[in-house]
Amino acid sequence: MIVSRDLYVTYGRSQEPVLKGVNGTFENKFLILGPNGSGKTTFFRAICALINIASGEIMVDGKNIEDLYATAGVLSTNFQEVYTLLGSNVYDLVRLYTDLSDGDPEFAFNMIKDLGLTLEFLRKRKLSELSSGQSKIVCTALALAMKARHVLLDEPFEELDPAKKGKMVKHLSEYDGVILVNTHETWLLKNLRNWGVFFMFEGVLYGPLLVEELLNAEISLADEADSLLRLSVSDKTVNIIRGKGKGTLLTSLENLDRIYQLAEGD
Amino acid sequence: MTRYLQMNAKSLLTNPYILFWSILFIEFWVLMWAYIFGNYIPQVEEAVRIYTATAYGNLLMLSLSGASVTIASSLLYSSKSIRYVTKYTKLSPSRFLLENLASSLIALLAISAVMFISVTGVFFARFGLVIMPVDTIGLSFSIFLSTLFIYALSLFLDFLIVILRAPKSASFISFLPLILAFTAYASLWVDIKNAVYFSPFNCIVSVCYYYFSGQIPPTGNFLIQGEKILVNVGLAMASLVAWSLLLMILDVILLKKMRGVGVEEIRTT
Repeated sequence: MIVSRDLYVTYGRSQEPVLKGVNGTFENKFLILGPNGSGKTTFFRAICALINIASGEIMVDGKNIEDLYATAGVLSTNFQEVYTLLGSNVYDLVRLYTDLSDGDPEFAFNMIKDLGLTLEFLRKRKLSELSSGQSKIVCTALALAMKARHVLLDEPFEELDPAKKGKMVKHLSEYDGVILVNTHETWLLKNLRNWGVFFMFEGVLYGPLLVEELLNAEISLADEADSLLRLSVSDKTVNIIRGKGKGTLLTSLENLDRIYQLAEGD
Repeated sequence: MTRYLQMNAKSLLTNPYILFWSILFIEFWVLMWAYIFGNYIPQVEEAVRIYTATAYGNLLMLSLSGASVTIASSLLYSSKSIRYVTKYTKLSPSRFLLENLASSLIALLAISAVMFISVTGVFFARFGLVIMPVDTIGLSFSIFLSTLFIYALSLFLDFLIVILRAPKSASFISFLPLILAFTAYASLWVDIKNAVYFSPFNCIVSVCYYYFSGQIPPTGNFLIQGEKILVNVGLAMASLVAWSLLLMILDVILLKKMRGVGVEEIRTT
């Protein structure tokens, strides 16, 4: 279980906080939906202890992340920057990280092959020499192969073609553990029906809701008494309401960046 | 030991930047010492031995400092990874330091051996004499201590860059050991007197000189004729040990505090 309590993160001393009092408990599989720049990636970096926290705390399995050291099997992620310990080829990198985490290298290789990359290719390339889509495949496979109880995946579907997206969904669904997936793509709601959902806008976390509640949900600027969620977007209140034909269907938005256009009345 | 030790050692031994800065670049200076600086040295064994000891100490210092530039850079670029693996894999901060140290020492000791072979080989070609160290064990220990210091310094400078949030100064700071090594080079023509004990780079030269030649080194003016103040070799050794221990302790402390710095934040030009 990951718990975030009143988390504030700023970049630079005098700047507006990027994360503003983020509170959340994550015990199962969750999507964190939000537009680009909403703070999702910053939130994951904070959980991985890769950035300083201004105030608040993050607990993983009851322990503050600042007190965690040498804890293999607790947390993994697909940030490429954490897989640069050596400048070796990808094949050796997979063997290294799975060795360090008592993970399963064959799981990683099988998943990478399933997503269209060969072992020969991996032996000849460094991680920095891959395209962004290829790099995403490798890092996501590594994150899952490390067999951690909590997996943080930042935009794992970005730069993937539709066929590979479908395969990636299958791998994530089959994984046994807590998974948090950052994304701005709403099509995932139809494919991950038994997951939970949080929303993140302008550094604030909203939720949780169930995916099932959102499949017919609508976005509306009108204030509704029984809104599922009220989001603050560009100083306006955007309501997520049950589908009544009064607003824009959430799943019709290709990605959540469009909420800003809706908030402006476009 | 994890797979990291073996893979890091292999990575360092085949790193083209290390090979250039610590061997190829220094070969130029080996030739300078043999054929330019040593023009006035008579072909008498004792004179050649002392000259070789002077050369080896200084060239080793430059070679190890050159290697530290690449070790420092590679650690800086992987600082986020270091932060992550020391928290979420089997590698604790101290275990990471131990394995990184061991693998770096393997590479640095290999470089030291190459420099030794190079100096004795080139000097044999120049002077017609094969000069071997008087105290091989003492010299080996001095080399080990020198590599330990260089490694600890590289790490310290890296962590300092990250904690001070100064990634744009990474290029300059990574080269600092080599800059300081060339500054220490000045003792060839200048007597730095008691300052030798405060400069670990000069201490490296002094202890290697002593165990190679069997003679007590001067505090400076190596290539200048005349009366010289002699170094207290025990004190020089103690200074090197103290510097190494201090930096290693600081490294462990700073490793726990640092969050890493993104590659995109490091200015490359």
